[in-house]
Amino acid sequence: MDLQSLILKLSAYWSSKGCLIEQPWDVEVGAGTMHPATFLRVLGPEPWNAGYVQPSRRPADGRYGQNPFRLVKHQQFQLVMKPAPVDIQDLYVESLVALGIDPKEHDLRFEEDNWESPTLGAWGVGWQVLLDGMEITQFTYFQQAGGLDLAPITAEITYGLERLTMFLAKKRSVYDIEWAPGITYGEARKQDEYEVSKYGFEVADPALWQLLFEKYEAEAKRCLEAGLVLPGYDFTLKCSHAFNILDARGAVSATDRVGVIKRVRGLAVECAKAYVASREAQGFPLLPKKPEPAAEPSDV
Amino acid sequence: MSEFLLEILAEEIPAGVLPGAREDLLARVSNAFAEARLGGTLTVHSTSRRLILVGEGVAERQPDATLEITGPPASRGFDAEGKPTQAAEGFAKAQGVSVDDLSVVQLPKGPYVVAKKTVPGRPASEVISETLPPLVEKMTFPRMMRWGDGAPIWIRPVHSVVALLDGLVVPLHLFGVESGRTTYGHRTLAGGRLIVMGVADWFAKLRAARVEPDLAVRRARFEEQARALAAEIGGEPAADATLFEAWSHLVEWPGLVRGAFDEAFLELPEEILVTSMREHQKMLPIRREGALLPAFLAVADQTGDPKGLIAQGNEWVTSARFADARFFWDDDGKTKLEDRLSRLGRLQFQETLGDYLKKTGRVQDLAERFAARLSVADSSSVVRAARLMKADLVTDMVREFPDLQGVVGGLYARREGERDEVWQAIYDQYRPASADDASPRSDVGAVVALADRLDTLAGLFGLGLVPTGSRDPYALRRAALGVVKVLLDRNWHLDLPIAISDALQLHGALARKREEVVPELTAFLTERLRFLLEKKGHAADTIEAVLAADARDPVDAAERVAAVDAMRKEADFAPLAAAFKRMQNILAQAPDALGEPDPAKMTDEAEQALAGDYLQARGMIDDLLAQRHFHDALGIMASFGPALDRFFTEVHVMAEDESVKANRIALLKAIRDQFARVAKFAEIRG
Repeated sequence: MDLQSLILKLSAYWSSKGCLIEQPWDVEVGAGTMHPATFLRVLGPEPWNAGYVQPSRRPADGRYGQNPFRLVKHQQFQLVMKPAPVDIQDLYVESLVALGIDPKEHDLRFEEDNWESPTLGAWGVGWQVLLDGMEITQFTYFQQAGGLDLAPITAEITYGLERLTMFLAKKRSVYDIEWAPGITYGEARKQDEYEVSKYGFEVADPALWQLLFEKYEAEAKRCLEAGLVLPGYDFTLKCSHAFNILDARGAVSATDRVGVIKRVRGLAVECAKAYVASREAQGFPLLPKKPEPAAEPSDV
Repeated sequence: MSEFLLEILAEEIPAGVLPGAREDLLARVSNAFAEARLGGTLTVHSTSRRLILVGEGVAERQPDATLEITGPPASRGFDAEGKPTQAAEGFAKAQGVSVDDLSVVQLPKGPYVVAKKTVPGRPASEVISETLPPLVEKMTFPRMMRWGDGAPIWIRPVHSVVALLDGLVVPLHLFGVESGRTTYGHRTLAGGRLIVMGVADWFAKLRAARVEPDLAVRRARFEEQARALAAEIGGEPAADATLFEAWSHLVEWPGLVRGAFDEAFLELPEEILVTSMREHQKMLPIRREGALLPAFLAVADQTGDPKGLIAQGNEWVTSARFADARFFWDDDGKTKLEDRLSRLGRLQFQETLGDYLKKTGRVQDLAERFAARLSVADSSSVVRAARLMKADLVTDMVREFPDLQGVVGGLYARREGERDEVWQAIYDQYRPASADDASPRSDVGAVVALADRLDTLAGLFGLGLVPTGSRDPYALRRAALGVVKVLLDRNWHLDLPIAISDALQLHGALARKREEVVPELTAFLTERLRFLLEKKGHAADTIEAVLAADARDPVDAAERVAAVDAMRKEADFAPLAAAFKRMQNILAQAPDALGEPDPAKMTDEAEQALAGDYLQARGMIDDLLAQRHFHDALGIMASFGPALDRFFTEVHVMAEDESVKANRIALLKAIRDQFARVAKFAEIRG
């Protein structure tokens, strides 16, 4: 199994279950959860079913392309369903079958693992899914996002694509998996990993990123004041990425850390509130339409 | 008598909450059945997806109950001729009984009209339908979740509920799920729904559908399989009750696979391999004659692995983790612990108390002082160990295996050629981890362990960050327990207020004053001492009496507790305690008498005899107490018994003559104070 087939199979499977297949968000994010298709769509009463691949950047995980498991930039297949269907676990297991995994021949277990993102003011409850002892998926019932209690509840399923491919192909190094037949992950990405690692740890200019953080924060606030939710959210994501770069660079002291995380969370909370207000003003357009009242009989 | 079955099928319930949830459910429903007069014996079962109650001997219906309801006073209920009045008729009507069912009963407040009423028992099924749902829905868990429309809140979403009384469905709703007789088997090994007719049928059908509901059976199977799989390669499974218990909560159909790993990994320290297997993968190591074999046992929620896929997957994960560990082991080795110290300056210990480099400096100084106070000769090893003890916090290995803090530092120090005393002290620094864990193996290790903990305790108490209730984010209770246990295990006499003052001095200015912190932290440590002494089986009142007398030196206090408890078994003790209480009672009413008792002013023979005994024994008691021969000292005190008895019989303490009275009080006070150096015997119950 190569990486590309995995993506295609997951997309086809969830598409067949009525999910909208989104594209990756085009701003740097640390996890698939930060894509607006998850973070914003889990808010409010409207139903939402979507799946997408999201490349995520974690500068602190950089290993210069030398570590067989850790990457700055890795990819997740992210799936959200709101409200979570009653049989969501069964649907998930079926997705593994679609990947060619026969659950009867393996050990499949859901072990408690809760998720929390202080920068997003978000948390959820759920499991890590273990296949033969390997963590292949994070399964979360979202409880709060942007500090708001959620209802209805969204199920979020995150497949770590590189890990899953490695496991299915029983490869010892992420760089040895095939991206597509005939080309390995290493051939496609190894030099990138070296460069982004070196940038994050050695080259990034802390003064510039500090300044960018301030500017992004100010711009996010300006957008939100102007009632522009998505641009405001984009700049919030940029703040979060600036923080991650500064953190990897060792430019955030432990004391500052708490304060900076609080500032990003403050923005995320404002975005969440503004999004719900905006959807409400639009009459929550994705809510199922109420049947039209019977038309008055008209005189001819 | 009826049989009852409740099965709640949910999504996977966290293994950690299952033990508590079982107890909680059993207690709630048992109490409710007893209160509802349904009786019966309930048993709880569980799997990773189910909570189950099985009841036997449950009443089919509640027995009828007779109620007596008080109405108006008899004088208003019946007229002079004993005929019921309008008031009585109205009361009877309101209670739904006839006037003939009224009687007069003598209550404390006088004679009253009482209606006797028989409340017919209701069918058990009806009662259970009403009482059970709120009991389950209101169970609490450490981390609850909401699902669906956001309204239901429990540990995980509930999918089906079986509630049967003698095979008939007890109609009820749990989180909107209607009860019935339908359940489901194992998630991946069984398909389709199961229709169950009763308890026995339910057990049989679930077992056929690859679910073993009985925790004890699952555990026994794990143990049996572990022994068999280990024996196949000439080994034994590690004895690990905690892991077997955890496994049993993780599955519905218990299975184990044996996997192997590359023998080359055995070059890594065993601590790291074992922690990686146990903590990260919940795997059990296999040993032969104590030595690790390159193999492990991994849990599976199914038996059999015909294609070897499960073993293969677990082997892949294990070797990936071990490869990571080997990388850290080699890579960390490139930087010596000494050279990591500067990086501790960037690792915060606590916002106000500064970073770990500052902590290291303080602990080094404090450990040196303690070494001097405790006469530990090897102070150069103490200082060296204290200097390096926190350096492993900035290694990749500890970042990956936080549970191995200290152990990793010790292993690295050994690799770097540090003396045994030094690397072992670093290795043992977090011991004892609990009341049952051993203290550091050497004096050097014990001194640095004490200094590290007292530095933390003094600093956080100095900031007022004191544990409250169940909140103890800095694990100060464990740190305090460690301090006391190390002192007891080493038999080290350390004056706690002095040791705390040493630690506070090194912290410099803190929010709270030393005069506040020292007594408060001493009392906090004394509470841990009390806990350890109770755990050893000493009487609570003995401990109280001794600690009330003086608790500054825990070892001294422990010796006094042992002496008093031993003495309590002897015949002499009761008179000693009684005499102490009498002295205490008299002294409580008396003004503070100052000065030594003066034999010249003693007029009574019994008084002179007591004073004679006391003055003669005083020096001896002083010596025995100084040498901590508490039992012997208590023996001498007990020998005062007859003289004290005689004194109390013959002498009137509160004499008319003020100077005689004062002298008598002074005598009693001197004796009481001498006794109270061991314990405040008045605290001891008869």
